[in-house]
Amino acid sequence: MKEAIIKSKNLTKKFPVGNGYFTALEDINLEIGKGEFLGLVGPSGSGKTTLLNIFGSLDVPSEGEATVMDKNVSQLSHGESAELRNKHIGFIFQSYNLLPVYTVYENVEFALLLQDKSTSERKKAVMDALEWVGLTDKVKSKPAQLSGGQSQRVAIARAMVKKPDILLADEPTANLDSENSHHILQTMVELNKELDTTFIFSTHDEKVMKYLRRMVHLKDGKIDKDQLITSL
Amino acid sequence: MTTLKLALRNLLGAGLRTWLNVFALSFAYLAIIFLNGLMDGWQKQAKKDTIEWEYGKGQLWHHKYDPYDPFSLKEAHSIIPEGITGAPILITQASIYPEGRMMSVQLKGIKSDQNIINIPSSKLQYSEDNIPIAIGTQMSETTGLKIGDKTIIRWRDVNGTFDAIQVEVIEIFNNTVPSTDNGQVWIGLEQLQKMMNLKSEATIIVLSTNKSISSTDEWVYKDLDFLLMDIDNMIEAKKAGNSIIYILLLVLALLAVFDTQVLSVFRRQKEIGTYIALGMTRWKVVMLFTIEGGFNSILAAILAFAYGAPILYLVNKAGGIPMVADASEVGMSIADSLIPSYTISLILSTVLIVVICATIVSFIPARKIAKMKPTDALKGKIQ
Ligand SMILES: Nc1ncnc2c1ncn2[C@@H]1O[C@H](COP(=O)(O)OP(=O)(O)O)[C@@H](O)[C@H]1O
Ligand SMILES: [Mg+2]
Repeated sequence: MKEAIIKSKNLTKKFPVGNGYFTALEDINLEIGKGEFLGLVGPSGSGKTTLLNIFGSLDVPSEGEATVMDKNVSQLSHGESAELRNKHIGFIFQSYNLLPVYTVYENVEFALLLQDKSTSERKKAVMDALEWVGLTDKVKSKPAQLSGGQSQRVAIARAMVKKPDILLADEPTANLDSENSHHILQTMVELNKELDTTFIFSTHDEKVMKYLRRMVHLKDGKIDKDQLITSL
Repeated sequence: MTTLKLALRNLLGAGLRTWLNVFALSFAYLAIIFLNGLMDGWQKQAKKDTIEWEYGKGQLWHHKYDPYDPFSLKEAHSIIPEGITGAPILITQASIYPEGRMMSVQLKGIKSDQNIINIPSSKLQYSEDNIPIAIGTQMSETTGLKIGDKTIIRWRDVNGTFDAIQVEVIEIFNNTVPSTDNGQVWIGLEQLQKMMNLKSEATIIVLSTNKSISSTDEWVYKDLDFLLMDIDNMIEAKKAGNSIIYILLLVLALLAVFDTQVLSVFRRQKEIGTYIALGMTRWKVVMLFTIEGGFNSILAAILAFAYGAPILYLVNKAGGIPMVADASEVGMSIADSLIPSYTISLILSTVLIVVICATIVSFIPARKIAKMKPTDALKGKIQ
């Protein structure tokens, strides 16, 4: 395996519920190498989203540790974790989460606006990203004018425009029909090859699983099976 | 810079709600600027008229003179000092008998050749019988005296001896200054000096320049700032009274902004989570929302200017705001219609205050974002 870009060691996540705790993740030990195309697979409630959030530095483990790009997420300040996300991590959500008042172009540009990139650099990067997902003709559209498949492609462009090291996709195809699902997966496979971005999905969608090269099965917050798919 | 741009984008993206808030705020702007401008215009007019008709460029007062105590007049007079360029005025208590009624007045002797104040003194030439007097329009109304009318004046001379004489109204002047009009009868200075047996004496001297004069034991220098203090105080008091109106308007408009902000923070949780996922810190999102709310006030300023400036301009051009109150009720000079006066500092300070208020009101709900867990925000499950 190539060098690990994400590691977790005895990672446990508990949520306060009533007077006690609910253990959403328990003793997760994982090493994810650079450039992997990996899926966290499991039924609803198995802890996929919780684990992705921790890898994305949006949350921290209750016990054990998670290391993302050699940084222990528990030890990052708000500013440091924001910077980590802004520069190195792209997110894709089940419900796309596009910013409604912004155009497609502005949505994709957003992450770059937070970095100190010149207008021309931004423009080139945005147009490249929209080309990857085949939406250069929609730059001026508002999210409300897009179909679900188009929206998710914009979300991919937004996540990929900064060429992140890691892309975290939480059930990206859950709201899409099979044609759009395949289209999106193919796009991501290509981007994974081209940019060597590490892709981590959470999914229980069979269509997605076909594309994965490693499946980490979660069950009740524990790793049930860690499965390498050798070749198609 | 980007935060400003993003904030503006979000605000304009919110559409109708934004414009309602902006419109309400713009109205508050106009109310504040108009009401203050009206008061400032009044202040300017009152000062100008009072200077032109009563105060001149300053006054010398006999040290015993007290404008609020008519009994001081008995002793408040001395020989006019030498080397002072000004219009001496001798003041005494007297009674007139228009239409058989008795009425107490202040009899003011003014030099007929003065031109420092606008009282038509040139008409008040010395005369042995049918002594000329001038009164204001208000006084003419209350007494029923018209030009050419004759009446009896009764006064006490310096020795306390009563005397009476017939006078004729030779001029009725129209001004806005009640203290030269109501209960005032203007007469030639020499005439009054002779009637009172006070040769070459006066009570006050209206000065023709604002060069400061050092006071003596007899004569006390009163500069314009002192003389105009009453007007300033009165206007300040009226402004404070008016402020209730626009504080109310402002509070209503700010309440709308506040409400929108509270709703925004609640309804836009997913968006907030997305901002954070895209790499903004929570405080940066707080700032974004605060600026977004604060921007309402800037858009409102622009809107207020767009529709308010032409309206206010036309009001002034059409001669200002007609006033129903008359000067004697108000207690100071007030013209028939007031022309509001808008200064840059009035406009800038108003904008500054409204922007600060709107920003504070936007910040208070936005602060909540800093306490949100980004994962909860993304799920949209915070109440
Ligand atoms: N903030 C939270 N508070 C309490 N329980 C939570 C919270 N987030 C997730 N959980 C619980 O943790 C478990 C795992 O959730 P999640 O990671 O969302 O699962 P998945 O994404 O696999 O459907 C679920 O049972 C869920 O109810
Ligand atoms: Mg989930």
